[in-house]
Amino acid sequence: MKANPNIDELLCGFVDGELPARQQTEVQRMVARDPEIGRRLRQLQNCKTLVSALPRAEAPGELLEQIKLAVERKTLLEEQAATGVHAAGVIYLLARRFVAAAAMIALLGVLGFVVYQIVAPVPGTDSQPLVARPDSPSRVEPIQPGSAPAVVADSGFSGRLEIRTATLAQADAVLKRAVGQNGLSALAVSDDAAGIRTYKLVSNRQGVSRLITSLESIWQSFDGVTLHIEEPGQFASPVTVTAVTPEQVTSIVARENTAASIETARDYAVTNAMAQRMPGREVLAIVDNDAAGVQDLVTIDDKVWITETQIETTLTPPQGEANVSLTIVLLHTR
Amino acid sequence: MYLRAASINIDDSVLVQKSQSGDVVAMERLIIKYQNRIFNVVLKMCGNSDDAAELTQETFVKVIESIEKFKGRSSFYTWLFRIAVNLTLNYCQRHARTATRSLDAEDMEHDGAADQVLRDLLSDERAVDPATVAQSRELCDLAMDALLKLEEPQRAVIVLRDIEDMNYTEIADVLNIELGTVRSRLSRARSNLREILEAMINEGESKHR
Repeated sequence: MKANPNIDELLCGFVDGELPARQQTEVQRMVARDPEIGRRLRQLQNCKTLVSALPRAEAPGELLEQIKLAVERKTLLEEQAATGVHAAGVIYLLARRFVAAAAMIALLGVLGFVVYQIVAPVPGTDSQPLVARPDSPSRVEPIQPGSAPAVVADSGFSGRLEIRTATLAQADAVLKRAVGQNGLSALAVSDDAAGIRTYKLVSNRQGVSRLITSLESIWQSFDGVTLHIEEPGQFASPVTVTAVTPEQVTSIVARENTAASIETARDYAVTNAMAQRMPGREVLAIVDNDAAGVQDLVTIDDKVWITETQIETTLTPPQGEANVSLTIVLLHTR
Repeated sequence: MYLRAASINIDDSVLVQKSQSGDVVAMERLIIKYQNRIFNVVLKMCGNSDDAAELTQETFVKVIESIEKFKGRSSFYTWLFRIAVNLTLNYCQRHARTATRSLDAEDMEHDGAADQVLRDLLSDERAVDPATVAQSRELCDLAMDALLKLEEPQRAVIVLRDIEDMNYTEIADVLNIELGTVRSRLSRARSNLREILEAMINEGESKHR
């Protein structure tokens, strides 16, 4: 008989006793009526019998012990794994905490340093402005009321002193001697045809001041002296002081820093220029001075000499080690 | 049958509760109670006693590990067999190629008595005596070989029904399939099993000629 899936399912249910009573009766009636269905029912029953009759196997006797051992082994492995994971986790967490703490300390250190740099008080004062001492630029101390004005640093300056003289040889000799006596060295360039002698020297403020002082004896013999001064590295136009005197030069050079030198030079430039235009070559030298304001009037025949008490009193000895580059040009006037 | 299952479930529920509360003795009783039945079903499905022992052991280890999670939505009996059948089906899928090859390689020689009983069984003229089948080792081997040639899902349903004597509802619960699927699959399994046996008899007759 060819298998009919629907009838087979019904017959299987009948064989297994899984059919309701009504279907069981129906199957019995079908089997009684149709020998083929009866044969198919026997086939399915015999299949069931064949499988059901297979001997029942028993589990190995040591199965229970094997199960216990397997559970113990598995539990042990899991505990070891859990312990390993826990230990690794603890180390990892400790390392993370350590790194975080170190990073925080480092950050606080940097922040503290920055804040300290910004707001740290200067020793001995609370809120006074800071200036640098000329003799020790790196040292910082407060301005004392009434003391000479000062700025933080002195970068030096360069100047050009043009001396017009009818006695070029004499002036040249005096200048050479003065350079040697003051322990200075200068680069001399001579152009006899043009009547020009040029000396380039670099020194500190004291050295230049001494040199200019050495030239006082001969200064009056000069037909005219002009000083050009400028601050190195600055784009401002140079200051030109005409008819400058040795005292003026030394006072300019001797100022405590470049800004003060430039400022002094500007004052002299104005007063000297005014003096040139005054009738009788009289000039009222006005130099600002915080201390007094005393004004001296000096009359000079051919040249303007300004005696400035206030300036003299505010002058400080040459200080600082900043270089002053001075070019002295002797021009022969014929 | 239903009375047997009910009594088992009552006993099981007590043992399961004790096992869940950490009673090792209760768990051992459950293992002892079911180890032979699990082993038998697994062996009929995988066909290898060593593998059956290992799968049975693995089944109970999983039961011990998961007993706390057992909520009792199904009976412990079907839950236990679900674990065992799933493990065995996975095993059969992994070893299907090897198992088929080993069966094909076997040169199955059967004596005349076994072949005659099998021929009678398939002649449809009369019902087979189960005692006769059980006494014939050769016939059992033939039946086992035929069973192993079934596809795994059909083998599982026929083993659970004809060997473990589960009803259709329990089979559906164990295999997690519909009741109608159990009926159709069981019907096809028996039909296919008969065809396999007929083919085996025909092969045997051709070899004897």
